[in-house]
Amino acid sequence: MPDLRARIFAPAKDPLWGAALALLASLALSFAAIALSGRDAPAGFADLAAGAFDGRGPLGETAVKTAVLLLAGLSVAVAFAVGLFNIGAEGQLIWGALAAALVGRSQVPFVLLWSLLAAAAAGSLWALLAGWLKVRRGVHEVISTILLNWVAIHLVHGWLVAGPFAAPGSGAEVSVAGTARVVPAAWLPRPIAGSRLDAGFFLALAIAVAVWLFTTRTVRGFEWRAVGAGREAAEASGIPAGRRICEAMALSGALAGLAGALLILGTEHRYPGVFRTGYGFDGIAVALVGGGGVWGSALAAFVFGALRAGATRLQLVGIHPSFAELTQGLAVLLVAAPRIFQPLLARLRGRSAPIPAGDA
Amino acid sequence: MNLILDFAPPLVFAALGGVLSERAGVVNIGLEGMMRFGAFAAAAGAIFTGSPWLGLACGALAGAGAAAVHALLSLRFRADQVVSGIALNLVALGLVTYLLQAMFGSPGVSPEAPALPRDRFGHSALAYAALLAPLLFHVWLRWTPSGLRVRAVGEHPRAAATLGVRVLPLRALCVLGSGVLAGVGGATLSVGLLGQFDSRMPAGQGFMALAAVVFGGWTPLGAAAAAFFFAAGDALQRQLSFSLHAADLRLEGIFLALPYALTLAVLALGIGRARAPAADGVPYDPEG
Repeated sequence: MPDLRARIFAPAKDPLWGAALALLASLALSFAAIALSGRDAPAGFADLAAGAFDGRGPLGETAVKTAVLLLAGLSVAVAFAVGLFNIGAEGQLIWGALAAALVGRSQVPFVLLWSLLAAAAAGSLWALLAGWLKVRRGVHEVISTILLNWVAIHLVHGWLVAGPFAAPGSGAEVSVAGTARVVPAAWLPRPIAGSRLDAGFFLALAIAVAVWLFTTRTVRGFEWRAVGAGREAAEASGIPAGRRICEAMALSGALAGLAGALLILGTEHRYPGVFRTGYGFDGIAVALVGGGGVWGSALAAFVFGALRAGATRLQLVGIHPSFAELTQGLAVLLVAAPRIFQPLLARLRGRSAPIPAGDA
Repeated sequence: MNLILDFAPPLVFAALGGVLSERAGVVNIGLEGMMRFGAFAAAAGAIFTGSPWLGLACGALAGAGAAAVHALLSLRFRADQVVSGIALNLVALGLVTYLLQAMFGSPGVSPEAPALPRDRFGHSALAYAALLAPLLFHVWLRWTPSGLRVRAVGEHPRAAATLGVRVLPLRALCVLGSGVLAGVGGATLSVGLLGQFDSRMPAGQGFMALAAVVFGGWTPLGAAAAAFFFAAGDALQRQLSFSLHAADLRLEGIFLALPYALTLAVLALGIGRARAPAADGVPYDPEG
């Protein structure tokens, strides 16, 4: 059985093209769906574009959402590098968000920095648990991360934020419940007036470049990919595979935790009582559509971010914003079966379809 | 006890669906999405036809339809089974909300749907079906030739193939059956319990069913027992917060997290030697 990356992405030899194709196809499908339901699809898409790109405000919204999606997507992509399927980005993101919200309440110097670090550490620990279970106890990471997600969701939302860490006075009313607000010094600065664009966007971009450099240009990054390509072979050539897996999971969790910190320190400024992010699950979509690479993930994060920012405008033509999620799901469905694309891609390149390699 | 018979059936049906698919060697992360389609289609079907039973049938069909996509992607196009399941969940999340808004004009809840009739103890027929189904499933899987074939393609598909079992069609059939069961589980939530569809359904129940499958060691009786156990925990939690005014303690989250934490502990400690079917999640290539 070939390794995870080969199984998922093998036929799409060119991840960036695959990502672009899947995104275009899913947009076309949803365009058709709107048109078929008797609504004005061109007007809807014009509204969508206006909501995502027209002016400082919309561009800022797109950037804010892109940043969170990018970090969550990188989290999943980093785990792919060592051959692990981290479905737990949501849980890691939630712990990161909580850590940022709690540390951000304190009046200490450099509180923003400490909050970000705490978020990364919290996400990292939660992911390490899955890495440890995989390496030491042989528990498949898909199952353990799914379970850990729900442990985190229920513990944080149903207990910690509602009970021990609830802001004083935020009692029965869910709408105001949540933790106390973080101090203004812990807010991510917003350099442009009239736009919610914050420093988190630039942080996410810098991290993306760093992750790309690390995984493709360093010895350790090479070792990670070697473990992902074949654990036994890597071990035979002297790479401690178990350690590398745990390291990658730690980084993966840290990135998801930072995504959570961006949500809290950039937008919410507290851990709200009702906080249904789903960004961790979206991160899986970003990494899958992006072909597990940094640039493909960045492209996917940008398109999905723009879709979410623009989708709020769709209500004007009577289309619910869940349209953005629908398009995203379709894109994943399309990349899920790269073999559908294979003949098409091959034809685009002007040669006949290669014979698919056997899976067994 | 009454509460347990209310909470357990959706979990039991979905968990049995998970067992069916995974014993045939196809990982089913898409249970949550299949339940969501089932819950919505059941409510919509019941509203349009006026009959909750036809609604239930719609729910089962919708679950099967969603499962057909999973089967097509993972078996015909040999997509990764985990990815295909995740894609299904994502599509279910967006598409059902979209349809809810398009058909009933509200993104929150559907109008009231006719609910299944209840007996004098307040249970619908589905509650009793949930008690009976695991036993029938167990007998079928364990003692019949077709049950043996299903287990064979999940443990060693190539060996089954050499004995003349057509692996991929049988796996596809099991995935479809899994979708029917998950769809019925979802329908139990909407036309069985609440009498309408809520856009938050099934609120993680599909994943809890998945935990029950693992906790129960991939067996029908084990998974059903785990589902009842989880439902009992939920019922206990509600009783406690009702009678002790423990709502102030905010223990709800701890109780809800317990099933998942316990399942993790069982896996980590290797209690009971629970083991996934050998070929679970491994794509089968008839020519390879």
